[in-house]
Amino acid sequence: MLFFQSLISGLLSGGVYALAGIGMSLVFGVMNVSNFAHGDLMMLGMYMAYFAFTLLHIDPYLSLVLIMPVSFMIGYILEKLFIGRVIHHPHQNQILLTIGLGLIMSNSALLAFTSDPRILTTSYSSSSFTILNDISVSVPLLLSFLITCGITAILYLFLAMTRTGMALRATSQNRDAAQLMGINVSKMSAITFGIGTALAATAGALIAPTYYIHPLAGHTFLLKAFTICVLGGLGSVIGATVGGLIIGVVEAMSSAYLSTDWKDVVVFALFLAVLLFRPQGLFGKKGDQ
Amino acid sequence: MKKTLLSIAATLILFFPLSANAAKTVKIGFINSITGKEAQIGENLTNGAAMAVEDMTAKGYSVTVVKEDDGGDPKNALAAYEKLVTRDGVIGVVGPYTSGSANVVASRADQYNVPLLVPAAAKEEITMKGYKNVFRLNAPANVYSQVLMKAVAAYKPKTVAYVYAATDFGVSTVKTAQDNALAMGLKEVANEKYQQGQPDYRATLAKVKGTNPDLVFLVSYDADAILLMRQAKEIGLTPKAFLGAGAGYTTAQFAQQKDISNLVVSATQWTDDVNWPGAAEFSKRYKAKYGKEPSYHAACAYEAMRIMIETATKAENPASLRTALKAGSWNGIMGPVKFADQSGYTNQNNHPMLVQQIQNGTYETIYPAQFSKKQLVYPFRR
Repeated sequence: MLFFQSLISGLLSGGVYALAGIGMSLVFGVMNVSNFAHGDLMMLGMYMAYFAFTLLHIDPYLSLVLIMPVSFMIGYILEKLFIGRVIHHPHQNQILLTIGLGLIMSNSALLAFTSDPRILTTSYSSSSFTILNDISVSVPLLLSFLITCGITAILYLFLAMTRTGMALRATSQNRDAAQLMGINVSKMSAITFGIGTALAATAGALIAPTYYIHPLAGHTFLLKAFTICVLGGLGSVIGATVGGLIIGVVEAMSSAYLSTDWKDVVVFALFLAVLLFRPQGLFGKKGDQ
Repeated sequence: MKKTLLSIAATLILFFPLSANAAKTVKIGFINSITGKEAQIGENLTNGAAMAVEDMTAKGYSVTVVKEDDGGDPKNALAAYEKLVTRDGVIGVVGPYTSGSANVVASRADQYNVPLLVPAAAKEEITMKGYKNVFRLNAPANVYSQVLMKAVAAYKPKTVAYVYAATDFGVSTVKTAQDNALAMGLKEVANEKYQQGQPDYRATLAKVKGTNPDLVFLVSYDADAILLMRQAKEIGLTPKAFLGAGAGYTTAQFAQQKDISNLVVSATQWTDDVNWPGAAEFSKRYKAKYGKEPSYHAACAYEAMRIMIETATKAENPASLRTALKAGSWNGIMGPVKFADQSGYTNQNNHPMLVQQIQNGTYETIYPAQFSKKQLVYPFRR
């Protein structure tokens, strides 16, 4: 019973981690930028969901319809103003820039929203149903998981089927060649960062009803997202999805069968093992950074 | 005639300030976590101390409080204490809030010989090292678990599971809980330490549920408490009682989450329905002034600051302040206060801790019987 319970809750939490990971992975794949502001963009999504719920009385899941375009625009503008300028610079410059952006966001949030954790309590925040006699499934977590699946599928179709998606993939494969073929790579970068930001904010909004909302809440997830990306292979959407699920399940299993304070040790041991034996990640292509 | 009256008046004016407390302005330091991770609780201490200063000023005391922020970091707390005693020349210091900060500052207090009055830090060690200049108003961490176990002892639980944050306070509280549980003949069926801020504790709670404990003993901060209780409800963990040791289980925000927090038992230093002099009135004025319920931290800071101002005004220098703190006794919103050397502690107020239970969204004191109006609801039910 404990096994299935841990498997279910691990898979469901892993789904939301995956969404956070996909955004980061996509940005890395297309732009070759490690976005350390990703966690803070998630935090923005959490606050958007919170204020949409408390001020406009919109259900946090419905508010995604608002949050996604708004955060896409934020990401697009951030890329045009800041990230785009360092795209050809060494990695350390990019990392400094994104860490700086993240610090500005989290500290502005501390000033504006104070350090009081906010709790978004919906009617279904702690509701669950039971399957197979004794396994409880959290309703908000299941909803988040289904929405994540939907978004991932749409993203996959977008990348595979549309012209813009194809251009994005071309940019990801070889930026210079793509530019020579007439693809507007700087626009592709802005679109990618917009999508990445929208995915981060969506992940934040999906977590909001079951977590608490705090200006520094993003940091927990930044580390997770980064681990997921490296585990799955930086730049791979499928890799990030699988990586997220693996991390969720490994965390749940190690809390259930080892001890709760050992779960991070297990996750990072796995992380190191992947780096040692398959440095490009589970789904990464050889030769990628 | 006129001249005589005038001279009498002049004499009176000259004499009056000398006899009243207003004659001398005392300088007191106050170290608190105004920013950083503990800022939310720090705000309660700030408010409580500010109210004490206001009340004492209204009574004719003249006081300057030098405030320092440690950001929850022991390094900064120590720097703040050193600055207060060397540059500002304060006669005594109230604070710091966190156990980590208070412990470090306490270790240096004897070196500078300036009394430190710790209002709300729980780590036992702070008053266990025999420091002459360190006084503590609140009860130390071991009392949290002691009083919680005592409150349920009459119902004869058999097994206990521990779920707690991997912090100084969490680990030391559970350690003393284990000692008490052993004395009561309780069997330990689970022991789960967790890293704070994780989104998912379901697997841990499912494991605890599998052991079917009578008591679940929890130590968590702030929002983690809400998260854990939400997921406990989801998983269907229903022991005979949830015992929450302080911190996250004693906030107004937690009590408001009625469907998950109802009937949770917690230990606290102070409640507003306790029958200590001025407690209810303090709570009313605090609510009117700051628009929220005072936490026990606010009451601790209020009383610590009040005692410090009152005693420091009579004292000439830090040394005589130390003697006066040691000799004096007070009775206010925190009940009877007396700094004594007892059972391994030095200058430790033997503060009676209270046990409260959330009943329909409000905290009701349920133990010890002489301070409470309500009874414990046992066993726990959804």
